Amino acid sequence: MFSRFRNRMGNSAPRHQLTREGVRLCDLHPGEKARVLEIGGSEQFRIRLMEMGLLTNDIVEVDKYAPLMDPMELIVKGYHLSLRRMDAEKIAVELIERNE
Amino acid sequence: MSRALTVAVAGNPNCGKTTIFNALTGTRQHVGNWPGVTVERKEGRFVHNEQTYKVIDLPGTYSLSTYSVEELVARDFIVQDEPDIIVNVVDASNLERNLFLTTQLIEIGRPLVIVLNMMDMAREKGLKIDTETLGVLLGAPVVPIVGRTGEGIDVLKDKIHRIQAHTSQKARHIDIQYHRDIEVQIEKISAVLAQGESPPVNVRWVAVKLLEKDDRIWEYLDGFADKEKLRQTTTEAIEQIEKIYQDTSRAAISHARYGFVRGAMQECVRSSTAEPIDYSRKIDKVLTHRVLGLPIFALFMWLMFVLTFDLGAYPMDWIDAGISWLVNTLHALVPDSMLSSLVVDGMIGGVGAIAVFLPNIFILFFVIAILEDSGYMARMAFIMDRVMHTLGLHGKAFIPLVMGFGCNVPAIMGTRILESRRDRILTTLINPFMSCSARLPVYILVAGAFFPENAGTVIFAMYVLGVVAAIFSGKLFSKTVLRGMSKPFVLELPPYQKPKLSSLLLHTWERGQVFIRKMGTVILVGSIIVWALGYFPREVELSQNYEAQSARITQEWEAQETEIEHAFDASVALGEEQYVSAMVPFESSGHYKELVTQRDSLKQQIAANYQEALQKVDFTRQAETMSQKWIGRLGKLIEPLVAPLGFTWREGVALVTGFVAKEIVVSTYGVLFGVGSDASEENAGILTSLRNSDMTPLIGLAFLVFVLLYTPCLATMAAIRRETGSWGWTTFSVVYSLLLAWLLAFGIYKIGSALEWLT
Repeated sequence: MFSRFRNRMGNSAPRHQLTREGVRLCDLHPGEKARVLEIGGSEQFRIRLMEMGLLTNDIVEVDKYAPLMDPMELIVKGYHLSLRRMDAEKIAVELIERNE
Repeated sequence: MSRALTVAVAGNPNCGKTTIFNALTGTRQHVGNWPGVTVERKEGRFVHNEQTYKVIDLPGTYSLSTYSVEELVARDFIVQDEPDIIVNVVDASNLERNLFLTTQLIEIGRPLVIVLNMMDMAREKGLKIDTETLGVLLGAPVVPIVGRTGEGIDVLKDKIHRIQAHTSQKARHIDIQYHRDIEVQIEKISAVLAQGESPPVNVRWVAVKLLEKDDRIWEYLDGFADKEKLRQTTTEAIEQIEKIYQDTSRAAISHARYGFVRGAMQECVRSSTAEPIDYSRKIDKVLTHRVLGLPIFALFMWLMFVLTFDLGAYPMDWIDAGISWLVNTLHALVPDSMLSSLVVDGMIGGVGAIAVFLPNIFILFFVIAILEDSGYMARMAFIMDRVMHTLGLHGKAFIPLVMGFGCNVPAIMGTRILESRRDRILTTLINPFMSCSARLPVYILVAGAFFPENAGTVIFAMYVLGVVAAIFSGKLFSKTVLRGMSKPFVLELPPYQKPKLSSLLLHTWERGQVFIRKMGTVILVGSIIVWALGYFPREVELSQNYEAQSARITQEWEAQETEIEHAFDASVALGEEQYVSAMVPFESSGHYKELVTQRDSLKQQIAANYQEALQKVDFTRQAETMSQKWIGRLGKLIEPLVAPLGFTWREGVALVTGFVAKEIVVSTYGVLFGVGSDASEENAGILTSLRNSDMTPLIGLAFLVFVLLYTPCLATMAAIRRETGSWGWTTFSVVYSLLLAWLLAFGIYKIGSALEWLT
């Protein structure tokens, strides 16, 4: 019962370590826009983001944080997407529009 | 008429795929599960131009990779069942991301019709889409539709017809072109594939999937001979691509697909310059507001609870009354026999006990449908994820957990709102610890008997303990049996929409009928078992001759009555003698009236005493009979198991019957203490008997904890079986909760005894 489950969902895929230092997606404030430079984390996470349209070189805008400060809401390709901060930490970005 | 053609409806979640499916098929739908997985499978039919079409609603997916069960199901169906036509529903207001899936469908190469849904919202966003050109670029006819109004459905049916009749001008196969570095590798792999024996039907698609490191693709290549060479070529190709792109081959291919989509969009989509108003964003400014978000969420949860359980209480009472009436009427009509008892008490009574949950379940599913269709469900997940994440759960899991305070059965069925099977199982497993309303009568009784001063506090403590047990178990499970299967939380927050009543009703019915159909069988079997346990053995040997006792009591009463009459007659005779000389007859004197009143009140008193004595004998007989039936013997049998907790055989029997439903614990006590089974929680008889029994407040507390934690009822078990789809998990849940209940009750009893606390 348990083993069957683990085999199917089990995640032996390698994790991608970010090569870049600097700003992470989770560091941004609401209203700020950034360009995605690199996406780290598990293969499953990276594929999920690709499917959902968050790829390198894309522009993302941070819309807001949830009332309990996690997760965060982004605007990508014109739609709203929510990510946990711990996952957003695996995304290296370059700030292109600061929120004054 | 020719054979029915298969139409598969594919699309992203939240693209309105189900609306299109409903519009195509109407109410002629069949809901089931995909074989082997608990993913809903919907099938319907429609007839157009004398041709029958079988429509399959594929699970909503963002892509056709194989990282989720839904994607796997959708892809296996498209590739292996080879539907005649694929209808790809695309959200026109969110075109870029939606067309990503389209690129993959184009590559698979089945005949394709593209539905541009939500055209109204796209217009609101200021988007102008040239559907003609888009169709040419994608190699498939494009039909603009407003799913909510059904505008354009007939055009869609026409296009489907023309595709299968090969008269569509748009339909032509195109290849998604990748960059030359990738194309070279695709060609290399394709060459190997084409050379081998029994090459796959769609060589190019398989080649791309191989480059994407899609492990499951090998399952389609079972008949392919030269796997070694293919593996080697693939590995080399991937290496080369990754060297050039400095990224995974899958990322490179995804980039190329989005490149294709962007290219197509540049040709056909014009955006008006005016900044469009994002209504959803405005609504969200309030509903997910940093301060207001949580109270508003709490308000919605409260409303949902009140609607489900308070409003549901009315039809619940009607059904309850109806079932009781039916049972009583049948008992009156049919002579007593084993068969009639089996049918009336066992089957009708047992299933009726579950049927009372129907209103709750349907109302809950209706509210859930509103939350899902309006788009607020995703916001609930967004707001609560922080809290639920600590349990290793998705934010949405909060809803079934809270509903558990009302009743675990609809709550567990509500776990269907969760996408991942692992989350569904985890939420289902910890749900029974949320103290449902059926446990309250037991708390009121026991806490009322032993903690009359602090009953409220004790009861509240039970609720808190339940939540703590749920949190503890959730953490435990996610670190052990359900480890490492959590999916990353990447959630779309779709635009808000006004729900459509017809679709709400359809969703409610679809989910509710599952309860009726599937749960009915389990409950029926369970009810028959429980009935048999209480019915057999037919002849029980009683330690006392209760009938003789009753007869003796009747005799005594009759004797007493005669005595009173005699005494009265004697007094009257005496009075008459004294009144002989009087002017008025004795019968009209005050003294005579006094005598009559005295006689009547005496008679009344002894009649009451007589009734009470008879009832006592009857209750004792019932108690002994029950203890002699299998269910009672089972209670005695498990006495050694519960003795370490300070429980007697009475608690044993009460706990066994409590498996059927928690509130039965109270009526069982009523029977066992010989005070009658008319068990309302105010039953003073049970309360006094409990206090006078061997039970101490400490044992009472241990008993409460046990009742809180062990499997709530048969219906919950059936729901767990239904939602996990496995007896394994059901057994696990029952055993785990029994174990936890036993250990905690044991701990409380032992520690309490050692400290001489509450004894």
